[in-house]
Order: sequence, then C-alpha cells, then structure tokens
Amino acid sequence: MRPNFFHHLHPPTIPARQARFRYTLAAGGLAVFLVLVLCVTGILEVFYYIPTPDQAAQSIQTLAFLVPFGGLVRNLHFWAAQFLVIVSLLHLLRVIFTGAYLPPRRFNYLLGMGLFVLAVLLDFTGYVLRWDEGIHYALIAGTNLIKSIPLIGGLLYGSLVGGSQPGAATLIRIYGWHICGLMLAAGILLVWHIFHVRRDGGIAVPPPHLRASQERISRFELVRREVLAMLLASVALLILSVFAPAPLAAPITVDSAISATARAPWFFLWVQELLKLGSPFLWGVVVPLAVLLALTLIPYVFPKPSETELGKWFPKGTRLAQVFFVGILLALLVLTVLALLPMS
Amino acid sequence: MRRLIVIASALLLLTLLGIAWWDGHRVKPIALIPTLTGKEEYCLTCHSDLPEISKSHPVKTFGCVICHGGEPLALDATLAHSTLRGGANPADYSVVQANCGGTNCHSGTAATFSDDIQRSTTSIQDTYAGAIAVMRYTYGAQSSLQAQFGTSAIQDPLSTSGITSLKMFDPQTETNPELRLFGQNCLTCHLSAQPLQNGGRYDHFTGCAACHTPTQAPDLTSVNTKTATLVHQLTTAIPYTQCDACHNRGNYDLRTMTFQPRTDTATTRLQDYYQPIAQFTKCEWTLDCIDCHTRTEAMGDGSLYSSKLDIQYIQCQTCHGTLTSLPKTRTLTDPNDLAFRLAQLNPVVTLQLGDTILVTDKGEPLWNTRLLPDGTYHLVGKATGQVFTFKPVMGSGCLQNPDDQSSASCHQCHSVQR
Repeated sequence: MRPNFFHHLHPPTIPARQARFRYTLAAGGLAVFLVLVLCVTGILEVFYYIPTPDQAAQSIQTLAFLVPFGGLVRNLHFWAAQFLVIVSLLHLLRVIFTGAYLPPRRFNYLLGMGLFVLAVLLDFTGYVLRWDEGIHYALIAGTNLIKSIPLIGGLLYGSLVGGSQPGAATLIRIYGWHICGLMLAAGILLVWHIFHVRRDGGIAVPPPHLRASQERISRFELVRREVLAMLLASVALLILSVFAPAPLAAPITVDSAISATARAPWFFLWVQELLKLGSPFLWGVVVPLAVLLALTLIPYVFPKPSETELGKWFPKGTRLAQVFFVGILLALLVLTVLALLPMS
Repeated sequence: MRRLIVIASALLLLTLLGIAWWDGHRVKPIALIPTLTGKEEYCLTCHSDLPEISKSHPVKTFGCVICHGGEPLALDATLAHSTLRGGANPADYSVVQANCGGTNCHSGTAATFSDDIQRSTTSIQDTYAGAIAVMRYTYGAQSSLQAQFGTSAIQDPLSTSGITSLKMFDPQTETNPELRLFGQNCLTCHLSAQPLQNGGRYDHFTGCAACHTPTQAPDLTSVNTKTATLVHQLTTAIPYTQCDACHNRGNYDLRTMTFQPRTDTATTRLQDYYQPIAQFTKCEWTLDCIDCHTRTEAMGDGSLYSSKLDIQYIQCQTCHGTLTSLPKTRTLTDPNDLAFRLAQLNPVVTLQLGDTILVTDKGEPLWNTRLLPDGTYHLVGKATGQVFTFKPVMGSGCLQNPDDQSSASCHQCHSVQR
C-alpha cells in the first residue's frame, strides 16, 4: 500500500513492544486527537460566543440550549479540555515512570512540560470565559494572586485585567489569550514536541542489541491503532457530552457576590486548599511554581538509568524520581480531596 | 485490527444515530419576544400551560422575566430558575420593588394612582403595627398606643399620620414573656408572613399576591373543602375567600398567646363567613369584602398608622346614608377619574361619563355602584358580577335613633342569625 499524508507523519516502523497500549497508554496520541477536537469545536464556538461581560454567559446559554447541536459542540469542547489535562498528566506519568525523559529526550521533556502548562492555562482561560457565577471565585482569586506578586504584581495584574477589577477589558484579554496567544504558543510547541519525538529517535527503547524482541510494526499498523483509539475516544466524548453537560451558571452581575461555597476548577482545587494556609503569594504563587519547577527539573536532578532499563515501566535506576513524582501527585491529590470536602 | 476498527466505527455511527434520535425528541424551544423588553425568552417552552396572569399583564407584552427574573435563554430548569426573584412569588415584599416597581408600574405617584408598593408596604396589613402597639401597651412595654414597631423597619418621611418610622419588632428583646410568646405565635397574618399551612384551605402567597393572587376557591359543598390551589393569576376581583385566608382561619387566644385554627367545616357561604363571634348583616356575607372596603382601606394611603381603625372607615351609611341624609354621590365628568381606571381593571361594570356613583366620606369612588333614576342604587359584585339593588335609609321605616348611625347600631336590628 502506498503511504498517504497521515502515514508519512509516522516513522516507517517502530518497535512492537514499545508500541503497545500498556506501554504508551496512548496518551500522546490521544492528546493530539483531543487538541484537534478542541480546535474544531472551539472554532465552531467562536461564531456564537460574545466576549462582553453582559453577553458572554447568555451567548453560551444560546449556544448550549438554542443552537442546533450547539450544546453538543460545547460539551465536546468541555470534555475534550478536561481529558486533555488528564491525558497530558498520564503522558507525563508514563514518561516519568519509564525514564523516557533522559537524554536525548531532556529538551523534549521541557517542551512537553510547556505544553502541559499551556493545556492547563487554556483550560483555565476557557473556564473563565463562561463569565458566570460558577467561575466568579476563580476569576477573582486567580487575578488577585497575580496582584500578590511583589514588585511586578501590579504591572502583571494591570496587563491581564486591564483595570482595577475584572471587567470588559479582562474578558476580551482572556479571550484573546485563549483563542490566540495561548493557542499559538501551544501550536508551535506541539509541532516542535512531535518533531522532537522523531528527532530523538522515536519512542524510548533499549538499544537494538539489548531488546528482548526485534519485532517491529509498520506505520500502517500504527495509524490503524491510532484510528481505533480516536474512534473509541470519540464515542466516549460523545456519550459524556450527551449525558453530562458542561456546567453553566447564572451570569455574573454588577452586584453579585462570590458564593461562600465557590470552588476553583478541579485542576486548581489543590491551590485553593493551599490558599487556606495563609499568604496568597507564598501558597498561591510560590508553592505552585515550585511544584512546577520541581517536575521540570526531574530529568536534570535525578540519576540516569542504564540503557538496558529503557523502554519498560519502573526502571530501578530512576526509582528516586518515581518516588518523588508519586509524592507530589499524592500531595496534590490529598489537597484536592480536602478542597472537595464540605466547607466548615 | 481491521475488524476492531470496523466495530469501533459501527459503535461511533450508532452513537451518532443515537444522538440524532435524542436531539429529535428533545422539547422544541418556544421563543417569546415581549414588546416591553424586546429580548428573547424561552420560559414558555416549559410553562406554556400557565394561564395569562391578568389582562393587564399580557404575556406577549410583559413576558415572564421582567416580573420573575430568571435566565431567559436557559432550557435547564435549575439554571433557568437560579436567578428568579422571589421564587414563585415575585410580589413578596422583599423583592417587590425589583419585580413590580418602576414609575410606569407600581411604584409611581399617588397622582397617577400607581403608588401601590409604597401604600401596601406601609399599610397596617403589612406593618401589623396596631396589634404590636396594643400588645406592648397592654403589657407595659410602651406608654401609649402609638405604634413604634412594625413587622419590619420602615421609614416614611412623607407620612401624614405623624408616624414617620417604625422599628422592627423583635420579640427576643422584649422582657415580658407574654410579648415574646406573642411575637413567636401571633405574628402570622401580616402580608409578609408565610401561611401557617401550605396547601391548606387558607394557603396564600405573601406580599401583593397575598390578596391579588387568589387561591382557587374550594367548593364548599365538596368533601375536599380543605384544599386550595395557588394559581397563576393577578386580579383585583378578589373573592371573600381570599380575605378569609387570613381573616377567617381561626382566632388568637390571648390567655395562652396561641393561634387556635378553625375546627368547624363550613358547607355554606353563611357558615363560612367571618369570625364566629361577630355580628353582621346580610349584605356583609352575600357581598364580597371588597364590594364595600376600598383600596385605601385595604392597602393604606401611604402613611403609617397605629391602628386599623385609623384607616378603615367604611360604614353601612357610606352606601345607605342616614335617616337624615342620602349617601354621597359623584357624577363622573372627568375621564381620568380613578373610578374609570378601577372599572377598567375589573370590568364588571361599564362606566360612562355622566354616570353617578356613590363615593366615600374621603371621596373614594365606589365605582361598582350606580345611582338609578328611581332613587335606588345598583351594586355589582366585584368578584361575582352579581347585581344587587338597594335603597337609602332616608325615607325608609328605620326606627333607629338618628344620632346612632354607626354600623354597630345597624347591627342591632339587621344582624343575621346563623
């Protein structure tokens, strides 16, 4: 069979053992698919979304309830965004637990971390674009965190919020960041990241003479597997989108106060819990950035495994990095659960 | 692998077909663009079964949101109702200004007869100031019967009664235990009080709707006399049963400071009528309360008062006159006369310029009456449309002392025995 455009995006062959689902979790490929879903559904949403404080929430209600299949498109966008964060986390988890971040893939790890941060920021900005009571807390808390940064906080706040408090300027800027600024950065990093997967020798595997099996699969088989994963992911997204609509709330009004039970989006619940400890700058900015920095520095700090350990789960040589990563994940999980407990 | 792809493709196709079927079976949105707001709303998608609330508030003109709040575009019940003002009752006094107010609506001026909110929220029916003053005076908490407290704090700098403000009555701050009991058990029938029994015979809304949204009157001859239904209606044709929801549901026992609900089951209008101990005449139970009692008596005149006796003034003589004088009348010559407005709101009569109607001592039009050429009068029931003919006392065989012309004196001869 003559390879088509999509086949050519893949290497001619890859090692069979490392192409298995149990090794990759299909996380990288699913992330790319979810980005495509987000782009398509996002472009459709752009035609209906009105980025002004008095019309944003109502334009989403129009889309969700009145535009034919508008609710489906919005729900697909929502669920694809949530899964993108989850799948990106799984991808990171796989990379850490297989030691795949080591040279020559260290730089690509940094690109991947950049993409992960962008995915979270895109999710957060998309969340804020609802401009309804459901996001009111996150909007106020998030922008105030920026203000708490010493020396440059005021400048950053002014450049993002565009005034003394969130308003029309804030919404249009967040919209700009969501559909343009962050997307442009994410697009560039994504292409760069995928390019580097090929440049760095494909998926992490042991050297040929150390492999238990020399079996390889063709790009045709690889594409077929990707198609299968995309089909199944599409079914899951569609079913979720029908039975679990994306959240909506009443529009933010001039005199509306933040609800006492307001919560951050699920991926920032751990930060919300940290904020209860005191200083917003320390717990809301420094600690989250320190967590991000710690994750980013894993390839540079922890010992390298031997080549023989590559291409399989939990190599002994990176045990310390694995424990460190699990420790961070557990801490974030506990904080998230604490934030979900009923407020006293 | 190819087989798996075929199965997954079939699954996806099936899912898409399922979604298409689901979408085809969803309730189709019903749009409404009220002329007053010009903004789309979709409340009728679920609420198209509700009757028009009143002829004065046609849904095509007002829509739903201008009075109720809510999310006009949402087709999800929770979201759509999340911003309702006052829940099912936008006329509760806590939200009435936002829902029913406005200079073109019900918080205008007395000159345009649209100061309804100002009048009703200062009225004795809402402040309950008279009962509170009497109780506090009786138990030595205040030295005069002048009202100092109401069910809520209220200011009325333009009050012509001499009372310009009332503090909120808080039973917990009273030292006398009887007054605390009074506060706990007896403040249950002012216009902001929730009914004692939801769904019962005397169920009602609060605020303006306590009177203007009558519960569907129960059939007295039916075994289901105790049930009443709250309906989507605003009316000035308020039946006596609505007044009964507060004024005829039982009595307060001042010895125990408790409310004693009625235990009897009335099967006729006569049995249903009024307090068991009261004296009353035939017209008082055959007519509806609003046939005699005016809007000022019921809703106040905008000033704060210490007693209902300061605002309730209709007597038998208002319509029947006395032995020496005929009742007051007014020939309608001004097309802006309040009588025309009230008759338009409740068109049980067709008033015309040149008609002569009865008026009260304060000049309020009894717009549902008319002086007939033979010197008798017609009264048309505001809630029933029933026509009553009556005569003045003057020239009749009434044996009452000319100096005793109050209603209490009339009751001496004309009271009805049950």
